[in-house]
Amino acid sequence: MDNVFANRLRKKSFSLPEAYGSQFAKRVFQRKDMLFALAALLIFAGLALFAPFISPYDPNAIDLKNKNLGPSEEHILGTDYLGRDLLSRILIGARTSLSIASGVVLVSLFLGTAAGCAAGYYGGLVDESISRVIDIFLSFPGVIFALTIMGALGTGIFNLMLALSIVHWAKYARMMRGQVLSIKKQEFVLSAITGGAGDFYIIRKHIVPNAIATLLVLATIDFGHVILSIATLSFLGIGLPADVPEWGAMLSAGKEFMRTAPYQTIFPGLAITFIVIIFSILGDGMRDILDPNHEGGEID
Amino acid sequence: MILTLFAVCALTFFLMNVIPGGTAELVLKHTLVGLEDSVSKEQVNQISSRYNLDDPLYIQFFRWIKEAIVTGDIGTSYVFKKPVLYLLALRLPATIQLAGVSMVIAILAGVSMGIYSALKENRISDHILRIVTLFGVSMPGFWVALLLILIFSLKLKLAPVAGYGSLENLFLPAAALSLHSVAAVMRVTRISMLETLGQEYIRFAKAKGLPLWKIVSRHALKNAMLPVITVIGFQMGSLLGGAVVIEKIFAWPGIGSLLVDSISARDLPVVQGCVLAIVTMFLFVHFLVDMLYTHLDPRIRYG
Amino acid sequence: MSLLEIRDLSVEFPAGENTVKAVSHVFFNVREGETFGIIGESGSGKSVIGLALLRLLPANANISGAVLFHGQDLFSLRPSELRKIRGKCISLMPQNPAGALNPVLKNRLQIEEVFEERGIDKKEGMKKSLRLMKKLLLKDPEKLCDLYPHQLSGGMRQRLVACMSLSFEPELLIADEPTKGLDPEAKEGAVELFTKIKKEYGKTMLLITHDLDLALEVCDRIAVMYAGEIVELDKASKVLGTPLHPYTKGLVRAQPRNGLVPLSGQSPSRISLPEGCLFHERCRYSGIECFRKHPEMKNHKGGWIRCHFQSLQ
Ligand SMILES: Nc1ncnc2c1ncn2[C@@H]1O[C@H](COP(=O)(O)OP(=O)(O)OP(=O)(O)O)[C@@H](O)[C@H]1O
Ligand code: SF4
Ligand SMILES: [Mg+2]
Repeated sequence: MDNVFANRLRKKSFSLPEAYGSQFAKRVFQRKDMLFALAALLIFAGLALFAPFISPYDPNAIDLKNKNLGPSEEHILGTDYLGRDLLSRILIGARTSLSIASGVVLVSLFLGTAAGCAAGYYGGLVDESISRVIDIFLSFPGVIFALTIMGALGTGIFNLMLALSIVHWAKYARMMRGQVLSIKKQEFVLSAITGGAGDFYIIRKHIVPNAIATLLVLATIDFGHVILSIATLSFLGIGLPADVPEWGAMLSAGKEFMRTAPYQTIFPGLAITFIVIIFSILGDGMRDILDPNHEGGEID
Repeated sequence: MILTLFAVCALTFFLMNVIPGGTAELVLKHTLVGLEDSVSKEQVNQISSRYNLDDPLYIQFFRWIKEAIVTGDIGTSYVFKKPVLYLLALRLPATIQLAGVSMVIAILAGVSMGIYSALKENRISDHILRIVTLFGVSMPGFWVALLLILIFSLKLKLAPVAGYGSLENLFLPAAALSLHSVAAVMRVTRISMLETLGQEYIRFAKAKGLPLWKIVSRHALKNAMLPVITVIGFQMGSLLGGAVVIEKIFAWPGIGSLLVDSISARDLPVVQGCVLAIVTMFLFVHFLVDMLYTHLDPRIRYG
Repeated sequence: MSLLEIRDLSVEFPAGENTVKAVSHVFFNVREGETFGIIGESGSGKSVIGLALLRLLPANANISGAVLFHGQDLFSLRPSELRKIRGKCISLMPQNPAGALNPVLKNRLQIEEVFEERGIDKKEGMKKSLRLMKKLLLKDPEKLCDLYPHQLSGGMRQRLVACMSLSFEPELLIADEPTKGLDPEAKEGAVELFTKIKKEYGKTMLLITHDLDLALEVCDRIAVMYAGEIVELDKASKVLGTPLHPYTKGLVRAQPRNGLVPLSGQSPSRISLPEGCLFHERCRYSGIECFRKHPEMKNHKGGWIRCHFQSLQ
């Protein structure tokens, strides 16, 4: 009985890449939480993109007469210890976080997919050595690894992206490898191989399109993690140079004035939480759609 | 595990040595704090040859490994002028205490709330817990720490802002550090429990006439714990990573704060030692998790 | 006197915005001491009936109707009262023995837990169970208790599950597809097993199965289900020997020894059932009336049949 039901569901889920687009979009529109998160993300991205035009003040304009102000009509979220407008800085900070995180996720996704494909597809010694490397990279707690690399490289936007990519690619590689191993066993790949198709052709035409959905779910969830890592490193003063407006660094500076100006510790943190929640909801929702058998039954 | 540890050593060692500026110069600058600009070429060369820093990296690495294995000497701090091992031994208990307590909180609270949430699936309390979880996994640990200080120390004056030693001091850091793991553990417990409760053996147990609590505690819990254990292993990594920031905020004298300070001061041997210590702890927990997993699942034990 | 009486049982599952009609308006009764069979294609709603009796369906199922056991409505019982009946008075032998055994618990624990629940001495209970296991053709039952379920063969698991559900010599045993997923050899064994259970325990049994051979061998009466409805109900020999309903005819003809003529077509979608007779799309005898009007259950020569043309056949 359960099999009948599960089969039905499985049929509804889609294994062919052509079906992704339309079906997927339809499912997303059926879920209020995902729609909401998507809308919020678009607004956020829009704000980040147009931050220089819409932010009320120059985010770096120092105004010592108006430092550590609470929220008021002039400064909606107040000002920091140098009198800089908090809202403007948070908006520009969104730009920093989102762009660095996009870079990191894209690079990791690319590297991970390539390494995972190679390992899973070719197997043997290639797989052995790549898997070993993946294992080693995954045996560092992420933040510690990133910290160490940043310690070696020094602060900077490029260094931060580099460090976080080095930390994050292994996750994608491991997942991709698993995907390739299961896809490789399927009939259409076997028939393509017997049909004499080239390795690269098979990887490009059959393997990547079938694995990419799962990897995108990981990327979505990971996006939030990367933003958290950026904030953590900057908070410790090991991420970005001090003059780059970034949420973690803002929190770090704000904490010195926690007694008198607590909102400096509150608002940037809210921004981080908000954006991470958005990616969390999106990632979970995508996974539910791709893998509807995820949840089990009830009990009376 | 040993092999991984070796690779981790190598990786950190090379990472630490690609630093622009050269090690010898760094050593000197540490010695002559305040007079950094007066460092001359000759002095650098002198130091280099004294510590054999001109040898190729891999030779240095093997020398370091040999020292480490034979005499247990993994280097000397540039800043404190003390053996790294001594510094680690000094700081390790604090980190183990903090991470350990947080782990225990994460397991107890996470598992019990996850089970509760699963049993109340789609009721109000389940929804509330799920939203709390969402926040729990999304809030940066250091922000939680700051908020806790703001509320409990500054506003309510219930706990000290920072410090180490008494139980009072442990309260806020452990809460801040464990929140993320509590949420993560709770989330997988809920999902895994729901999945287990949908299994046929649960229905059969019900058909046998067993009461709910027995079904949950005997039939569901052990099965549902299998994925949870794996997640707990990974959470140890995020706890150790999180500990770095939390220790820093609460002035907790553990390995995490030592690591951050050493990175800022470019005290490379100490950085390396800290990373090794943390990775070792992490791998050890993973090892325990594997053992526990095999112990719980007879299908693995008896092939 | 009938031990179990099912009145107008319907079960629906919500599926998104729609509902899946798993079982609709089912009536039948099971007499004391008889073996009552339910047969039908996969998905026809057999298991759902069995599970509904013991209220074992997921919480989202919409159940209506009444199930009377000794004249008492099982659906109106409180959970604690229901628990006393489950396993003791009515027990379930589930569809898939491999899934019904908890993989992380030793067999012994899973056998003896029912005794401790009912305040019976574990040792005493185990002794009885071991005797039972021997009778059910399990060799070396002591040793088997100390193993985990995955260390047993399919046939052994099935016997073990059978033994668990017979622990209290229940008044009614619901056996759901006892032969599903067994290799031919184990299947033979299952027929033997059920004949044995029937002879030795002489209890009332509700046997849900695909396997017409098994049904003919052990059942006294049989109900045939199609798309959630009973379409024919009569003595086993009559239903399987001289089937009346076109669907039953098709089932019998699809048997290997009758030439393996498969029933063409598929059961209708359970979300939007067709008008008229649910079987008309696949029926070789269908007439105009069959498209328009849903046939009622009618008495026919002592049995029941749901077909407009029952008298013609
Ligand atoms: N939990 C559920 N949720 C939704 N639909 C369900 C559920 N359980 C059963 N169904 C549906 O109810 C219908 C009847 O299923 P049932 O399991 O009773 O069939 P069956 O006759 O036992 O089939 P099989 O021979 O395969 O065991 C099927 O169409 C199935 O999809
Ligand atoms: S009612 Fe008509 S369609 Fe239905 S079974 Fe009878 S003859 Fe066939
Ligand atoms: Mg069934």
